Amino acid sequence: MNWLAWIPFLEPINWFHRWWYLLLIPLSFGISVAYKAIRVHSLKGYWWQVGLMTTQIVLGVLGLGILVALFVQFGIPALSN
Amino acid sequence: MTPSTTPKAEAAPRSCKPAAALMAWIFPGMGHLYLGQRRRGWLIMFGILFLFMSGLLVGGLDAIDLKNDRLWFIAQAFNGPIAFVADFLNQALVQNRPEEERLHLIGLGHVNAIATLFIALGGLINLAVILDALYPINRSDHPNRRSNDA
Repeated sequence: MNWLAWIPFLEPINWFHRWWYLLLIPLSFGISVAYKAIRVHSLKGYWWQVGLMTTQIVLGVLGLGILVALFVQFGIPALSN
Repeated sequence: MTPSTTPKAEAAPRSCKPAAALMAWIFPGMGHLYLGQRRRGWLIMFGILFLFMSGLLVGGLDAIDLKNDRLWFIAQAFNGPIAFVADFLNQALVQNRPEEERLHLIGLGHVNAIATLFIALGGLINLAVILDALYPINRSDHPNRRSNDA
């Protein structure tokens, strides 16, 4: 990719094709920041809550990914036999 | 009931604030700023705009496309007028170009999918924010309230 020719916000970052799953972290962070701002009654410990929710989302999606991978690798072949 | 909620807060009647809800849609976080919950308003603004701008940065303007991704746009529209402006710019600057030029400006595969998802999820979270501004909880009665909250 020619970085000098890249125009931010107009052209996509196509090299993310290889690392697209890492975008789950900022996605989870953004959701947590906005959601926790309306969810918690007190903003004391707000950033701790945001960090916790971000981690929960990332680990939850990771766990679901592992379960689906196991099902595809072992579950479906076992069912088809 | 979660430990963070109090019976008093749940029992308190919620008044309807349509002006706050409208402001929350016009620009994320403005509804809570209007309600006097300044710190929450700034945090909401940061969160929603972080998702919106990240989506645009990763996927380009093509991440918002009313014509080709109509169902996704329904969720994205809850971001407010900024979503409509981005769609207008997409149609004017990207979609109207000749095919050969347009291929460099449109996101493909995972990049387009996750960029669209960023902005759509930002819109859906802002829908929750709009509803929270429409029927605000009286958070000022919470014993652990900080001075700059509410």
